[in-house]
Amino acid sequence: MDSKKKYWKGLEELNRTPEFVEKNKNEFAEPIPIEDVLSGDGLSAKTPRRDFLKALGFGVGAVTLAACQRVPVHKSIPYLIKPEEVTPGVANYYSSSYEGQAILVKTREGRPIKVEGNPNDLFSKGGLSAQAQASVLDLYDVNRLKDPKLKGSEAGWSEIDAFVIKELAAIKAAGKNIRLVTSSINSPSTLAVIAEFIKQYPTAKHVTYDAVSYTGIIQANQNSFGKAVIPHYNFDKADVIVSFGADFLGTWISGEEFTRQYVSNRNNKSLESKKMSRHIQFESGMSLTGTNADNRLAIKPSEEGIAIINLYNAISGTTLPGSKKLSSKAAENAITIAAKELVAAKGKALVVAGSNDVATQVLVNAINSLLGSYGTTIDLDNPSKQYAGNDAEFVEFVNELSRGDVAGVLFLNVNPAYDYFKAKEFTDALAKARLKVSFADHDDETALLSNVIAPNHHYLESWGDANAVEGYYTVIQPTINPVYNTRQAEHSLLVWAENPVKDYYTFVRNTWNESLLAKGGLSGQKGWETLLQTGMIKATPNTAGTYTFNRDLNAVAQTILTHSASIAAGDGKFELQVYQSPAIGDGKRANNPWLQELPDPVSKVTWDNFVAVSVADIKKLKLSEGDVVKVTANGYTVSLPVLAQPGQAQGTISIAVGYGRTNAGPVGDNVGKNAFPFYSFRNGTFQTTATVTAFEVTSIKAPLAQTQTHHSYEGRSVIREAKFTEYKKNPAVHSGNEKGHKNYDEESLWDVPSHDRPVYDWVMAIDLNACTGCGACVVACNAENNIPVVGKDEVRRRREMHWIRIDRYYSYEEKGESITEEYEIDKLKDDAFDNVTVVHQPMLCQHCDHAPCETVCPVLATVHSSEGLNQMAYNRCVGTRYCANNCPYKVRRFNWFNYWNDSRFDNYLNNEHTQLVLNPDVVTRFRGVMEKCSMCVQRIQAGKLKAKIEKRPLKDGEIKMACQQTCSANAIVFGNRNDPNSEVSKALKSERTYYVLEELNVQPGIGYQVKVRNAVELEA
Amino acid sequence: MASHSESIIREPLITGKDITYGQITDDILRPVENMPSKAWWIGFTVASLGALLWVFSISYTFWYGIGSWGLNKTVGWAWDITGFVWWVGIGHAGTLISAVLLLFRQNWRNSINRSAEAMTIFAVICAATYIGAHMGRPWMAVYSLPLPNQYGSLWVNFNSPLIWDVFAISTYFSVSLVFWYTGLLPDMASIRDRATGLRRRIYSVASFGWTGSVKTWQRFETVSLILAGLSTPLVLSVHTIVSMDFATSLEPGWHTTIFPPYFVAGAIFSGFAMVQTLLLVTRKVLGLENYITMFHIESMNKIILVTGSVVGVAYITEFFIAYYSGGEYEQYTFLNRFIGPYWWAACMMYGCNVLMTQMMWSKKVRTNIPISWVLSIIVNIGMWFERFVIIVVSLHRDYIPSSWAMFYPTWIDVGVFVGSIGIFFTMFLLFIRVMPSVAIAEVKLLLKSASEQAKKKQIAEGHLDPSHVEFYKANLIKFDSVDQSEYEKA
Repeated sequence: MDSKKKYWKGLEELNRTPEFVEKNKNEFAEPIPIEDVLSGDGLSAKTPRRDFLKALGFGVGAVTLAACQRVPVHKSIPYLIKPEEVTPGVANYYSSSYEGQAILVKTREGRPIKVEGNPNDLFSKGGLSAQAQASVLDLYDVNRLKDPKLKGSEAGWSEIDAFVIKELAAIKAAGKNIRLVTSSINSPSTLAVIAEFIKQYPTAKHVTYDAVSYTGIIQANQNSFGKAVIPHYNFDKADVIVSFGADFLGTWISGEEFTRQYVSNRNNKSLESKKMSRHIQFESGMSLTGTNADNRLAIKPSEEGIAIINLYNAISGTTLPGSKKLSSKAAENAITIAAKELVAAKGKALVVAGSNDVATQVLVNAINSLLGSYGTTIDLDNPSKQYAGNDAEFVEFVNELSRGDVAGVLFLNVNPAYDYFKAKEFTDALAKARLKVSFADHDDETALLSNVIAPNHHYLESWGDANAVEGYYTVIQPTINPVYNTRQAEHSLLVWAENPVKDYYTFVRNTWNESLLAKGGLSGQKGWETLLQTGMIKATPNTAGTYTFNRDLNAVAQTILTHSASIAAGDGKFELQVYQSPAIGDGKRANNPWLQELPDPVSKVTWDNFVAVSVADIKKLKLSEGDVVKVTANGYTVSLPVLAQPGQAQGTISIAVGYGRTNAGPVGDNVGKNAFPFYSFRNGTFQTTATVTAFEVTSIKAPLAQTQTHHSYEGRSVIREAKFTEYKKNPAVHSGNEKGHKNYDEESLWDVPSHDRPVYDWVMAIDLNACTGCGACVVACNAENNIPVVGKDEVRRRREMHWIRIDRYYSYEEKGESITEEYEIDKLKDDAFDNVTVVHQPMLCQHCDHAPCETVCPVLATVHSSEGLNQMAYNRCVGTRYCANNCPYKVRRFNWFNYWNDSRFDNYLNNEHTQLVLNPDVVTRFRGVMEKCSMCVQRIQAGKLKAKIEKRPLKDGEIKMACQQTCSANAIVFGNRNDPNSEVSKALKSERTYYVLEELNVQPGIGYQVKVRNAVELEA
Repeated sequence: MASHSESIIREPLITGKDITYGQITDDILRPVENMPSKAWWIGFTVASLGALLWVFSISYTFWYGIGSWGLNKTVGWAWDITGFVWWVGIGHAGTLISAVLLLFRQNWRNSINRSAEAMTIFAVICAATYIGAHMGRPWMAVYSLPLPNQYGSLWVNFNSPLIWDVFAISTYFSVSLVFWYTGLLPDMASIRDRATGLRRRIYSVASFGWTGSVKTWQRFETVSLILAGLSTPLVLSVHTIVSMDFATSLEPGWHTTIFPPYFVAGAIFSGFAMVQTLLLVTRKVLGLENYITMFHIESMNKIILVTGSVVGVAYITEFFIAYYSGGEYEQYTFLNRFIGPYWWAACMMYGCNVLMTQMMWSKKVRTNIPISWVLSIIVNIGMWFERFVIIVVSLHRDYIPSSWAMFYPTWIDVGVFVGSIGIFFTMFLLFIRVMPSVAIAEVKLLLKSASEQAKKKQIAEGHLDPSHVEFYKANLIKFDSVDQSEYEKA
């Protein structure tokens, strides 16, 4: 059918105007000069062929030459089928949990690169310990076992399974005992797996063993209240805290949680409402907690029990039989005052003791009962399940072993060959068992003695759950496929128990479906998915009941006094206390270089343990730091360098456990000496104190690798502190702002050009009263910013690379005066060294607006951004180090060596596998360039981009620095100064805010808030 | 220049009996035209071993990184910049002698300027090696030059004293080199004229076709004057700028306005000491006692005394200002020099530079060759410690006490420094073998006016006051290290 439709291109065509008709005659609207070209000499000229050949020759030659250059081959393999959730360059976060604490795992391109706290976490609300931060590095430890081992040689899982099942069956048939030795387990699923295993092998028994044990507290609560639990402490509800050797801000039970709670009564918010808790610490060695105490009294371990008895007497008004005065008058006085304070704060008071002695803890329970702490500061109805070790059970297990009663042993997350105090007895006894299975992921000390090693997954490769506190359930989900041929221990146990459910994931799902999901009001697949997103379930907590202690204390006091008498050393002799350092803990993570290089918060020593001796004793013995001494106690001897520790009780020494591993891996092996053999077993628990039977000075010197070697702040305004009584009268006291904040720019000789900060002005506020000095920020920064580990020798040379450090200063109180200058300290009398006060100051690049580093760089490698950041252009840096010299804060770090590719720094990243832990958003630095805190510029950038994509302004608090994020104390606030309502602007407006070295008018961008002490006058 | 007859009451600048133009050429060119002596070989062996040590230490540093030195996060400069400033300072005497003394018509400089200038060149070379070596990434050293680049406006930081240093040192080196070589031209021609074969061809090229015509001489004199004029401000500017590396910083102990004059005085002080060290040996080994006389030695000692005292006053001023300023950190820095862990370094600095040189008030000391030589070494040690104290002792304890640290040198630090001395002496010893170590042409000018013959002629003409003649004779004995018995025979 013919179409009647007519199509036209324009009105001209439709109307067929004459012009159009005329124009339309030609094919092209405008004439093309083709004729001109053809008639010219374009083709007839003589040279086109030659020119063409020349051009061709040059072209081919040039291309050939260009192709000759060898370009480096980058092996990057694109996804054949891209996983839906992985976008290169964009991080995914998975919720999981670390030792019962809810965390978020940051993964990039399928590999976990950082662990961050879950803001909804019960314990620290987003804060994480240094150990948790460092745990991600363990995943990439190339020394992990790559295959299971049978009788010392690599084997397949089927061989392992066949062997173990055959052996277990044989043992079962023979009626011999099987023991499953584990560290404290609070995972409902794991406990269910163990129950399944025991069901299959009825001669099996689960023995819980913790290298650092809390059996004392558990037993004491059993004895006092019939509840064999560790209570849940509420330091935030305590106005007066008295601690006897409990390092509750560091290593004691749940340090991160207690830090958050404790600081909530001491931070800016609390101070502004004129409220600050009082903390009195009695201890022999200087602990992290001791450094934060308002009053700290150095007492010998042998007097700790007596001090608690005296406190009880003072509070109850009775006198327990055998009570006697403390040798130190100051301590005795402090006990009286502490008692008054505690009684005055009844219901808001808390007494804790670090001792693992049952009698001591019973007495502490009695005191807390008198103070009405149960139901307020102590919660026995929602107990902590973080530790459940039973010392007596383990000792009995060793006895069984040596009697030959046990034929099969399985070790899960324990290493008694290293950390049991009678390791020799244990290893000899272990030889008598026919089946020894270790689930260790390293060839550790115990695994070496086992005939089967069934390496467990790293927790980031595992499924699982945890129930660290009654009613608080967290889930563990894998964030990467197993890297090596390992298998989850629970899976192995299920296989060996010939359980119908062999897959542990299914087992976990079943556990949650059956009982746990319901506690959070969830159910089914959807509930499970919700759980995986939130990471936790918080069941409604039980009501914390009040408990009254009503047992006879006479026998308890007698036990304490006998114990005290047994460890009391005579004049000129030492008492020994064994403690955990917050970085290394019990030594399980000894092969982690981030933790080894993390300075001990108190001594600032890295890569070693040492004998902490009081300054007075050091002088008396004419020792100097680094002199090696031989210490003998409980029949065991170690040689370690000494450290002069201010605040160490005279006549006592302290040695950290967790060192001296022999089979931890190349990083942790032979770092320091093992102090576990100093333990003893008394009254059913492990004891950490002993009498030193020999203390011998050798002529050997072993200089300690300290990151700080000058310990007093010389009266400089770098540190500003005030007493709480003064603060209450004038919040600006000692901050330098008594007459308003001084503007040093006014005194400048120059017309200062104004620097525009059009949108953002990134600054930070650090509250010295909140910072406990734990050092978690240091490790968080390591992980975030790819900071190299340099090793012991280089730390000794003062070349650690940490971008953030915690400066720790000691000062001494004498007659109400603070002694901070070196020459005055040298003149102090011996006893004055006991009255030490400590301040921690996180120090990092201050991002000065008049940065001294920027003016001196010859090549403009360090420049200021329009957002107030001092930035490093690594590629431009030629490494003159002038900037570092001119930095008054000494926060710049130079790459002395090529730490990434130098075989002398083999303890870290010199292999492709471990390099996968690097944060791809932060470039690694070559040798010869300067680096420093960048204010996590990659996070700022990511935050800004996210806001931009979502077409909204950036929200305050959206961008968090790595150091800030991990700080359980919330001591660090970061944000935009241009926004007057931002958290940081508010913090900087505090009267307590001062800037370090502000008198130089470098205009630092980090404001510090004055340290406030709520000390009681002990002399009065 | 000095074409007139010099007064007889001036001390003789050239001694020795019957010195002729020919003999001057013979004497000065003896080491150039003959096989080296045993002493030279011993010296050269030791020096080149030192140079090898330098090559090794520097290669080690380049291979492994600056970490092979003893620096740390607190002390970012130590032996490197100490060595740099020390060498630059040493160079200064050469320029002062060749330029300033020329302008002031101090004819006695003619005997020593050549060696002093050579010393300048070699010292600046040694200093320059430190500029490269102390960089973390020396292969990127080109970034410190203001070159056009593909980054658009990316330029060097003209605010940074290190950039001023780049300009100062490179200008100083080029001007010194040109000045030195210009002065060498007539002497190279002398060698050429006496040489044959390949040597002749080499020196022919090296003398730039010197003809010795009046016009050539006239131009030579003019160029010398112009270059002297150019160099004179450099004497002051170079070390002023070096001092600004410290003075413009924030570091207590560095941030001091007195630094420019203090550094210049110190530089001349150490430079003259080094000239003294070198020439006291050279004149003996090369037999140049007639040309470098006791007069020269004493004159240089006087300059050392004056500049040493200037430096001493600067030290005292620094302490006073530190006290007077009330600046907490600065006060501590200066106190720390004496009560801190590096008290011994400060003792070396103040002891060697101020106390020891005060001995030169005694004429006996000034005219005693062994003591002068030992003192010149002491001054160089003291000046090294001065820079060490300024750099390391200031840095190691500055504002934040937590960062206070000690600096311990490694053997590579020592190797680089000792090696640089080896490099210096290797070059100097090669120099005296291939080039005249005393400016022949300029010394000949002295012969015409200031030599014994000239003075004898004046005596013979008999218009002189006899007491002046007596004075002259006494001076001959005083300044003449040549055996007096030769004169008796005459």
